[in-house]
Amino acid sequence: MALVYRLLVAFVLLFTVWELFDEEDLWNQANNALVIIPLLLRVLMIK
Amino acid sequence: MDNKKTASVIFLIIALVVSFIAGKSFSSMHIPEVIVAGPGVTMQKMLSDYFPQLKGTNGDAEIYILEGDKAGGSMLVLGGTHANEPGGYMAAISLIETAKIDSGTLYIIPRANNSAFSHNDAQEGSPQRFTIETEYGEREFRYGSRATNPIDQWPDPDVYVHAASGQQLSGSETRNLNRAYPGRSDGTFTEKVTYAITEMIKVENIDITLDLHEASPEYPVINAIVSHEYAMGIASVVTINLQLKGVDIALEPSPTNLRGLTHRELGDYTDTLALLAETANAAQGRLRGKTDEDLVIKGKDKMYVNAAKRGNLYVPFDENGHPLEERVGRHLETIKEITSVYTAKNENNPIIITNLPDYEEIQEKGVGFMLNPLS
Amino acid sequence: MQIELIFFIAMIVTFLIGAFLLKLPISLSMMLASIAGALVSGHGIPIKHLVEGTFGYIDTILVIATAMMFMKVIEESGALDTLNFLIVRKFHNNPVLLLILIMIIIMFPGMITGSSTAAVLSSGAIVAPVLMTMGIPVAETGAIIAMGAIYGMIAPPVNVPAMIIGGGIDLPYVGFTIPLLLLIVPVAVFTVLFLGLKYAKNFDYEQFILSSTNSVDSSSELVKSNVKEIKLFIPILVLIFLMLASKIAPQIIPNLGMPLIFLISAIVGLFTGKKVNFIQTSKSAVKSTLPVLGILMGVGMFIQIMTLTGVRGFIVDVALSLPSVFLYLGIAIFIPLFGAVSAFGSSSVLGVPFCLALLGKNEIIVAAALSFIAGTGDLVPPTALAGIFAAQVVGEENYFNILKKCIIPVIAIVVWGLVFIIFANPIGDLIL
Repeated sequence: MALVYRLLVAFVLLFTVWELFDEEDLWNQANNALVIIPLLLRVLMIK
Repeated sequence: MDNKKTASVIFLIIALVVSFIAGKSFSSMHIPEVIVAGPGVTMQKMLSDYFPQLKGTNGDAEIYILEGDKAGGSMLVLGGTHANEPGGYMAAISLIETAKIDSGTLYIIPRANNSAFSHNDAQEGSPQRFTIETEYGEREFRYGSRATNPIDQWPDPDVYVHAASGQQLSGSETRNLNRAYPGRSDGTFTEKVTYAITEMIKVENIDITLDLHEASPEYPVINAIVSHEYAMGIASVVTINLQLKGVDIALEPSPTNLRGLTHRELGDYTDTLALLAETANAAQGRLRGKTDEDLVIKGKDKMYVNAAKRGNLYVPFDENGHPLEERVGRHLETIKEITSVYTAKNENNPIIITNLPDYEEIQEKGVGFMLNPLS
Repeated sequence: MQIELIFFIAMIVTFLIGAFLLKLPISLSMMLASIAGALVSGHGIPIKHLVEGTFGYIDTILVIATAMMFMKVIEESGALDTLNFLIVRKFHNNPVLLLILIMIIIMFPGMITGSSTAAVLSSGAIVAPVLMTMGIPVAETGAIIAMGAIYGMIAPPVNVPAMIIGGGIDLPYVGFTIPLLLLIVPVAVFTVLFLGLKYAKNFDYEQFILSSTNSVDSSSELVKSNVKEIKLFIPILVLIFLMLASKIAPQIIPNLGMPLIFLISAIVGLFTGKKVNFIQTSKSAVKSTLPVLGILMGVGMFIQIMTLTGVRGFIVDVALSLPSVFLYLGIAIFIPLFGAVSAFGSSSVLGVPFCLALLGKNEIIVAAALSFIAGTGDLVPPTALAGIFAAQVVGEENYFNILKKCIIPVIAIVVWGLVFIIFANPIGDLIL
């Protein structure tokens, strides 16, 4: 189940990074970058 | 590349750098603190010796065995069931580094939930480590979490159902070692650890088990021994003896409707006499103020002083707080009393621990004087 | 002045400057406030602590993102419009019954999962068009959904705040069903009738039929064929089945968790109605949730720094040091306000100490009532998850318009909850 959830996080992370590049507003880009951090650390199973 | 793309790349790089810095810090929690086996340690085993599935996982934990020259009874001391309760595991580590055994065998698992030592709880602001002064220099110990690291057991269910009883608890309790007894060989990571501990108690025919804990000062069961009904005969004498020595302590019967805990399940599922001891740790409380290493070691907190004045607490709390040496001293004194009361009642099966300083001496000299040099 | 108060003021002022003067997103303002709090308390910029705080919401992020994917898929597949048409056709004669039925539907996912967000984004999305078709204005519809989701979160069988409070005082989660129902049912019925009845009574059914045939929506075409209709609802049925199955038969169906259940149901929805582009839909779902996910990250940092610096303890200290006559007032004010962190956070940080301060009263009744009051925390900005997502579901730009409509129901919750706390012993004797 942990593996399935890692894939699920990776799925959400993918769209979050994609949105970071599609986003027009500078501050919303920063907001998206903020969300990337925990998702990345969980995908890598560091935290 | 237009401005928008440049900004995206910069933000992504910032996110990666922050992740790297934080990740490095989180990963450092996986490095175990050194425990120096003392003069009484005769053998070292692992939990996986009793349940091989744990081998190579973060749930495998060291078992230190102190066997006396003379045969006798056996006692298991669990430290680090909750890795944010240092009074418990520092007492276990002090035993490993100092105690000698005259009769019987002492088993000590200092990091019962080894995984819980490898992370901190989110939004609790906990320090990662604390430092103890010894006459040989400083020794560093981790301050972990109450529960198994999510990277070892994830995701949590909405509701945690205790397998043996069907009792429902909030989902995150699924990673609480002390709600997972007696454990299951095919259960969750946490249940496998408790299964291994239960197996060990059965295989080694452990006579008494003591689980060392700490509680937040607002928690009703504090400065107390919690006893399974079969252990009440010993626990009641221990409590009176401790009180006569000036250690203010209460005796609580293990509630029959609160399941998954050592003092309930180990007493029900094995032949061991199951006991649990609690001291007061301000660093895990909800009312605490500034959270840092000092709070963990010195146990002083002005918010708790206020709360005690209002009568919100179940333990006295003044400006002197409850320092680690007091909490560890209480636990060690409790262990001494348990073995002597047990030995008095079972003369043919004695457990005699020597070389342990008494309560006053620990208060005076601190925890560090029971610890050995690192090399 | 206590030093913690100074830290707290520094954090709040930084937040206000960020959010209102610099017009930064709430998430970044919260992050800056956290950094300010760390700096003035002499912690520098503690990256470890800031990032660690965000992990308090990692599971919530997944529920939100996947629930939104599910909602977008059933919206685009035509299932929502069709279901709306069917419900209105069946119940338009009896608005009271219809409204109460809708309230139960909204509550259902929350009752099963313990999550208000799950309720808003699944059943909330399903009933929103029904309510609006019945003539209930957007803000009132959003309020009914937000409140219903909170009632669902608190209603049995799964009430996580009560479990958290119980866990803090060693009170098993047993015997809560009747007290919770007595707390919730009257207030839930009052809420939906108070907000909806005066509009629903004047509903013009003929006009509705006319307009829905005029718009010749392909979904109402679908209604003509019963087979297709059932097929259209398969993702919703799968969602209900998976939610219930792991609870009813845990030995057979493993606990998949909310995020996976939503994702599976969303994927099923790709094959049961109008064609949906899954990648684009998922991307747009994540896009629409990112502001909220960011806020959660900011709040996570904020609460971590509050705990680190002692500000959290200071707030608990102030709440508990109210003179006993004001203790109830403290419960009424602090528990909902601290819910800005989340209803769960408020239950743990304040629910447990308040419950302990009330020992001597029937613990089950007190814990149930405190969890009820804590539920309102999901309406308190900046997280306000129930309010924000209800606004998204009904298409309201400013979620504060929805929160305004929730004020009376929230007062009803707090008053009714306090009545239960004050009379906990006689109520306990009567029902337990």
